[in-house]
Amino acid sequence: TIKKEGADSLSLSLAGCLHCTSEVSMPPVSLTIASPTNIAVIKYWGKRNSKLNLPINSSVSVTLNQQDLRTVTTVCASRDFGKDRLWLNGKEEDVSGNKRVQAVFKEVRAYAGDLFDLKSGHLLVKRSEWPEMKVHVISTNNFPTAAGLASSAAGYAALTFALAQLFAVPKTVNLSTIARQGSGSACRSLAGGFVAWDMGSKDDGSDSSARQVAPASHWPELQVLILVVSDSKKTVSSTAGMDISVDTSLLLAHRAAQIVPERLKQMESAYLAKDFAAVANLAMQDSNQFHATCLDTFPPIFYLNDVSRAIIGFVHAFNDACGEVRLGYTF
Amino acid sequence: TIKKEGADSLSLSLAGCLHCTSEVSMPPVSLTIASPTNIAVIKYWGKRNSKLNLPINSSVSVTLNQQDLRTVTTVCASRDFGKDRLWLNGKEEDVSGNKRVQAVFKEVRAYAGDLFDLKSGHLLVKRSEWPEMKVHVISTNNFPTAAGLASSAAGYAALTFALAQLFAVPKTVNLSTIARQGSGSACRSLAGGFVAWDMGSKDDGSDSSARQVAPASHWPELQVLILVVSDSKKTVSSTAGMDISVDTSLLLAHRAAQIVPERLKQMESAYLAKDFAAVANLAMQDSNQFHATCLDTFPPIFYLNDVSRAIIGFVHAFNDACGEVRLGYTFDAGPNAVLLVLKEHITQALGAILHYFPPRAGCDVGYVNRADLYASARATALPDGLESLYPLTPMPSAVRYVYHSDVGPGAMIVDDDESLADASGMPKVISASESNKTCVSSNVPAPLRSLQVRVLSTAAISVAFLFGMAVLRTAHK
Repeated sequence: TIKKEGADSLSLSLAGCLHCTSEVSMPPVSLTIASPTNIAVIKYWGKRNSKLNLPINSSVSVTLNQQDLRTVTTVCASRDFGKDRLWLNGKEEDVSGNKRVQAVFKEVRAYAGDLFDLKSGHLLVKRSEWPEMKVHVISTNNFPTAAGLASSAAGYAALTFALAQLFAVPKTVNLSTIARQGSGSACRSLAGGFVAWDMGSKDDGSDSSARQVAPASHWPELQVLILVVSDSKKTVSSTAGMDISVDTSLLLAHRAAQIVPERLKQMESAYLAKDFAAVANLAMQDSNQFHATCLDTFPPIFYLNDVSRAIIGFVHAFNDACGEVRLGYTF
Repeated sequence: TIKKEGADSLSLSLAGCLHCTSEVSMPPVSLTIASPTNIAVIKYWGKRNSKLNLPINSSVSVTLNQQDLRTVTTVCASRDFGKDRLWLNGKEEDVSGNKRVQAVFKEVRAYAGDLFDLKSGHLLVKRSEWPEMKVHVISTNNFPTAAGLASSAAGYAALTFALAQLFAVPKTVNLSTIARQGSGSACRSLAGGFVAWDMGSKDDGSDSSARQVAPASHWPELQVLILVVSDSKKTVSSTAGMDISVDTSLLLAHRAAQIVPERLKQMESAYLAKDFAAVANLAMQDSNQFHATCLDTFPPIFYLNDVSRAIIGFVHAFNDACGEVRLGYTFDAGPNAVLLVLKEHITQALGAILHYFPPRAGCDVGYVNRADLYASARATALPDGLESLYPLTPMPSAVRYVYHSDVGPGAMIVDDDESLADASGMPKVISASESNKTCVSSNVPAPLRSLQVRVLSTAAISVAFLFGMAVLRTAHK
């Protein structure tokens, strides 16, 4: 079942793996979930703690509709699997060497409980059995990674959520703090609608988590157009880039400490009030400021190219021509 | 007499205008000066007072050598002129409506004194006579305005300096506070070498002025390569842009108050110590930060384009490959790159630039303003590892041409044979050469080509010929 708003119930099937081979004596327990991507309108850029992905400022995003862009993830657990394995878009990835995937696995497993089949009530896996069971994670984005459409966010949200359902993690556990450890912005994909990631202040990151500010149903008129720009140039990854920015950009520290807190308040108010012009203006200004801090990084990081800039110029001209703000952009 | 450092003495000639016509009862008093452009390495962007051009932060620049890039300005004063007039690059500009030109005229006139001919000691103009005399100003840049090479700075510095010499303004008067009122960065072109513009704190701007930090002779090894980038897009003018930035960029205020003061100290120290790596790194960081505040402006201002960014990437890769900082970049309000480099590395740097940013096929001639430098650069190998660090396909035509220059002197008086005025104080008629479709024409900036003086009368032949030759020698050195 595709859920529009996060995940409310589990839907498991013992027959999840239809192609059982003789390798497997008992069918694996399996589950499939879908996770959205999200677009930040007040940007996250820069960590105060790399290991736990704790940010230097809070951020807020809109969750995009899964009908168009989503990550589907199937997780299977079995005593017969030799090790945890992960496939992304058909390609097997290295789990053992990937600290972030390891962190998510470890954190979710720590909360594992008894898994019951919802339909039959039958106990499928006892809490004490989980350590013996390895997991296969098979994940596919229905949008190209190269398109730069926040596939890490969707992917780690999907991984976290899928594993949490599989391991029967209690609903009281804040999954966003776990997804965050995989990829910061992933924490905002667990909920739908308009989602804030509060930066928190604790060293252990237990208060650095996401919360829904407004559900998707709050503002159905709000829509997006994503213009995928052709770009053959390899750019700096977010993970690497934001570290260099924190280290070298004097403007970034000021942004995080002095500018973002006020903007977040304004953005949340504007969104709740459905004030499109205010939301759009803030989004444009914050996107530009984020890219400004990238330019202030040393060596500078360029994510916008001449087409991006042409689109920006177009939006401003369009709004001027219309006499009001009808379009906003964020990159 | 060409002076190397500022102006120490006047050299006026009553016979400055050789072609006296019957229009003029007495030949105009005339003077010709040349003024350089300058490139800021800690940037000025944003005013606290628009009328007086008072900045929100101090700035510092290098003055470029006039042999390569300069504004020549002839000023003629006569009782017979009906009004003040100004020609820029052959085109008459509106003086009466231009507040900034008016401000410069007014400020300089306020200090006018008695003008004596230095050779003869003869009193040419009494102080009290100046109000009756109007001025013709004829100014030409030897580099295209469209190249974005700080023509306002050179132009207003030239205007201020020329008028000050003409009106016999005492040497004690700080001309930079006047040039500043024409165009902020002009105040830094009056002096040579490394020049700071102290922002000042007074409301009247009397302490917002330029001072020389080090003369050109301090660091002769420091050179520049200016990469003029093809750009058809019209961008926001500096004057308009910096106002929008002050109004809308929250990052700019922080930069001006908290970041620039410290950087200026570091830059001045580094320059005095001739620490190239420190100077280059600071210049790159400050250029990037200036452009970052433009991006943080609303609507955002983009001066860098994809070629500018490719040049930036190239510089970082070049330095990585060399294992040390040998190139620095800085960009003003346009896509052109000014690269800082030490003389010892110039052929290597230029060779690498030519590899990634070659001229259009068959258009080698004139691509670099120095043919011998071009030849030796072409023959220099790329640093090891550069191609793997910077696997960029060469981009022909991305860069239109390359100027090599170094640090030079400030505004100075030049010989009358460079005068742009005829005997009646009007611009000399010059004919543009036939524009042909060859690469030489397209590479070499138009004003350089058009400075081929048409001889008007027999008496003028030798002067005009000398003038033309002097310009050509300058251009092709």
